[in-house]
Amino acid sequence: MPSLPERKVGIVACSGEELAEGTVTRLAALKVLHEIRRGETVTICLPLFLAGGEGDRAFAKFHPTITVDGCARKCAAHGTETYSGKPAASIVVGEIAAEHGIAGIEGRRCLNPAGQKAVDLTAERLAALVDQLLGKEERPDAGASVETPAASSDSAVVGCSCGSGIPVKVLTIAGQSVEVVALPLIFDKLREARRVPSEAVAQDLLEMVKVYNYVCPETEASWREVLVREFAAYCERELSR
Amino acid sequence: MPEFLATTVDKFTFRVATDRLYCRDGLWVFWIQPQGGVRVRVGLTDYLQQHSGDVAFVTVKPPGTKLQVGDDLADLETIKVVLELASPVSGVIVAVNDALELNPELVNQSPYEKGWLAEIDATDWEAGRSSLLDAKAYFEVMQSQAQEELKKL
Amino acid sequence: MNDGKPQVVIVPCSGIGKAFGSVAREAGYELCDELRPNTTRLVALSKLVLGDEQARERVRRCPAITIDGCKLMCAAKLVKHNGGTVAREVAVLDAYRQHKELKPDGIAELNAEGKQLARVLAEEIAEVVDDLGRDASGGGNHA
Repeated sequence: MPSLPERKVGIVACSGEELAEGTVTRLAALKVLHEIRRGETVTICLPLFLAGGEGDRAFAKFHPTITVDGCARKCAAHGTETYSGKPAASIVVGEIAAEHGIAGIEGRRCLNPAGQKAVDLTAERLAALVDQLLGKEERPDAGASVETPAASSDSAVVGCSCGSGIPVKVLTIAGQSVEVVALPLIFDKLREARRVPSEAVAQDLLEMVKVYNYVCPETEASWREVLVREFAAYCERELSR
Repeated sequence: MPEFLATTVDKFTFRVATDRLYCRDGLWVFWIQPQGGVRVRVGLTDYLQQHSGDVAFVTVKPPGTKLQVGDDLADLETIKVVLELASPVSGVIVAVNDALELNPELVNQSPYEKGWLAEIDATDWEAGRSSLLDAKAYFEVMQSQAQEELKKL
Repeated sequence: MNDGKPQVVIVPCSGIGKAFGSVAREAGYELCDELRPNTTRLVALSKLVLGDEQARERVRRCPAITIDGCKLMCAAKLVKHNGGTVAREVAVLDAYRQHKELKPDGIAELNAEGKQLARVLAEEIAEVVDDLGRDASGGGNHA
């Protein structure tokens, strides 16, 4: 069984060649990757969703992604949703530029000062969203909504559809069937730490689950209740082995 | 087709074929046939090829070259690094993979099969093989190496 | 100004994980902005991922030259996926093998060798563009 992987955020930039804003997306993504959120992010090549790149696809299925587009066509956002999964957040350079009163982004090969400013602002926005997705901040208004991952109607422990081998468990929470990524591994980890089902472990369990799954704040109580019940059942099974 | 052990780090999945031996530096040794001595085939592991990047040039020492463990077996240049690959066994090179001359990317595309580097008639094989790792042991070494690389990010 | 010759579509991969993707992008700009602005047209690969109708129409109507940074050949695959004809598949790695002294480095900012490799590549592709123009017009000289 694979070990619990470190949670990271994938960034999918459109890199559109025809517009200077496409260059902004590319440079902003690279700035986040190499400088301001180094080690916490991975860039994903958009065309690889269609042209191969099993690793990129698998990563995007398991980890949350942020798409960054140069124009309102939103090729990265729509392409990611079509060929991988719904991005956790999507931003558009033009909208960020408009918010900050930046006009006249030019120079698709070599950005002008307005374009360079847009790179910095877009990178900052991406970094804020990365922090939000990694649970490093209380959800500030980072200018993009964070979406719930899709649920499945299966009812057993299965491998994540990303092909990474990460197991998922399907639970019914607040009346919804939800695919909880990495839950079996989280249970293993708690058992190794000799934790037993309790109110204290319920909160820790929820926090660990939130690292790998989106939990709507309104349903946290239901999640906690179901998770601790499942953990108790898991512990009983392990004891009887 | 060999079976594999596999681990995923970020968007990279590294595979280790279970049917051969390994050195810690990331070369595999596959025993192909006993023929008066022991003939083995040598190549790069999946981890080493992915870690090194797209291969641009490969130069393998020619057939007839006598090698001791650690001698220069091949030079390999990728978009990221230049590697001098040390032989994991002692012996004489009896064949090199000519396909790499035109298609060095075979090392990336098929590290455990079509991308092999050389065939060697190994000498002192019993002593040599004891210093090599089996797939499970190499898998653990490789996982540590991958995690170390991750920390550098 | 297009003097009536059919335009050649240029599709670089712009891969974001390796310097070779940046070389592909830079070569695309060098070709379309500097060397053959009148007979080439850059098409964003992201539009082909999305299946943008205008981009699809363009690659179906005009011959395409793709410039790929790695052997997964995303640009070539996506032109074909969208019904286009790839007149020439260019791989940056092959170009580097021909010009070993020009080793690219840097993704956000290519080094001097990478930029030079892009220029060399663009010059080579410009000749292919000229050939395609000659073929289409029955054999005239490129201006």
